Parts: sequence; structure tokens; C-alpha cells
Amino acid sequence: MTQPILWNDFRPGASLGEITQPFDDSLASAWRGIFGSADAGTPAEGAGIAVAMMMRGYLGVVTPRPPGNVHARQRFTLDAVPRQGEPVRTVVNCLSKEIKRERRYVELGVRGTGDAGRSIYAGILTLIWAA
Amino acid sequence: MTTQLRAVSLTADADVIRAYGELTDDFNPIHIDPEFAARTPMGGCIAHGTMSICLLWQSLFRSLGDAAAQRVELDVRFVKPVRVGETIHAGGELEPGDSACYRVWVRGDDGVDRLVGTARLLSGGMSA
Repeated sequence: MTQPILWNDFRPGASLGEITQPFDDSLASAWRGIFGSADAGTPAEGAGIAVAMMMRGYLGVVTPRPPGNVHARQRFTLDAVPRQGEPVRTVVNCLSKEIKRERRYVELGVRGTGDAGRSIYAGILTLIWAA
Repeated sequence: MTTQLRAVSLTADADVIRAYGELTDDFNPIHIDPEFAARTPMGGCIAHGTMSICLLWQSLFRSLGDAAAQRVELDVRFVKPVRVGETIHAGGELEPGDSACYRVWVRGDDGVDRLVGTARLLSGGMSA
């Protein structure tokens, strides 16, 4: 089994990779199963799907991870809601890392673009890395 | 511009947390494995942080409608974990003296914040 990515492995400034995933029916269906159908097809749903795609993008690129990581802060700019069927390309970079109060923090930048490179979202995940 | 965002609620029970893990492909055992989670500083399973953010988007779009169809910048901190079975409520208020910024929050039934931050409506419309 591949060893998990450890805090020591992160290099600020380094590109970690990218992944492209479609906003397909299964994502919309899964979102509605949790948050209800009242917002089906609306920007509220699209914004939530964009958050889910950001997480899927980050998790698809930065893998495997040690178990027990915790999300501490999230900055997220929504530039557009993704359209159903639109492929969204997520690029992940390591922005910084530091130890505070004996906790290992990592900041990752994520950017999602859709059709013709239109910007969907940009975010910074601040994570407490478990190992 | 509305001064108070409409609160939107969700109960983060084990089924919802599992479903959110499938939505995001996030199967971190801190969310779904009670034995593992009990050995972490969290002391038990917690909901995914971004689940609260999705709820916040619902509150923002339901409250602001077309006004939310601008670019929006969220900056939030997860200040207390959401435990399995808790009902959470997302909402916010317009920042005094700033018509483009809301103080946003996600709280439990106990009124204690789980997430706090800001949602800023940026100039320039969101692309369709």
C-alpha cells in the first residue's frame, strides 16, 4: 500500500496536480438526498455542488492521506455555478504550512474551471494534518 | 438588501454524514468510524466541515435571490465540531455599515457557533 502524504512532504509553492470531473446527475442526486429538492436546479444547489467538487478535486489529487485530518478554515470564492454536465477541472497547489500550538497546518489552494476555462471557484483550504 | 439571512437547518445524523461522504468522496474515518474518532482529539465522530458550508449557501441564495447572483467570497472558520445527530442552522446578518458583507454562522440547537465568518458580495456579476 502507498504511504500516505505526510505534513513533512508538503512543499509550499509546489503544484500537487489536477483532476477533471463532470457535474453529472449522480452528484445532483446525491446533493438532493442530503439537502432536499426544494433548491433543485437553482444556484443554491449549484453552489453546494461547487463545494463538493472542490472537495472531490482536493481529495482526488492529494491522496492517500493520513486518517484524521481536520478542516480548520475555508476561503471560497464562487465565480459561477457549474452547469449540469459541465466538466470542472480542479488544480491544487500547496500554499504554505506551519506548526501552531503543536498542530500541523497546511494551506492548499484550489481552483476550479469549467467550459472554455471559465472560472467556477477559487478556494484556500486550511487543514490540520494528522501526521 | 435584506439584513437577516433566512436560517436553513439540517440534522447531521449518521446517514446524512455517510451520504455527504459519498457526495464528496471523503471517507476520513473521523467522520464515519466511531472507534477511530474516539482516539482523536475530537473524541468522537464529527460531520464534514464543508457540509455546513453547503447549508450556508442555501441560506444565502434563499435569502438574497438575484442579489446573490454576484460573485461571492466566503471566509469561514470551523470553531466547534458538529457532532453526529446534531441539528445545525445556517444564517447570518448584514455587517453594520457594509452593505456588501454578511456575518455568517452555523449554530447548533444550543445556540453555540460551529462555523463563523463572512460572505462578501463582490462587484461584477457571476458568469452564467
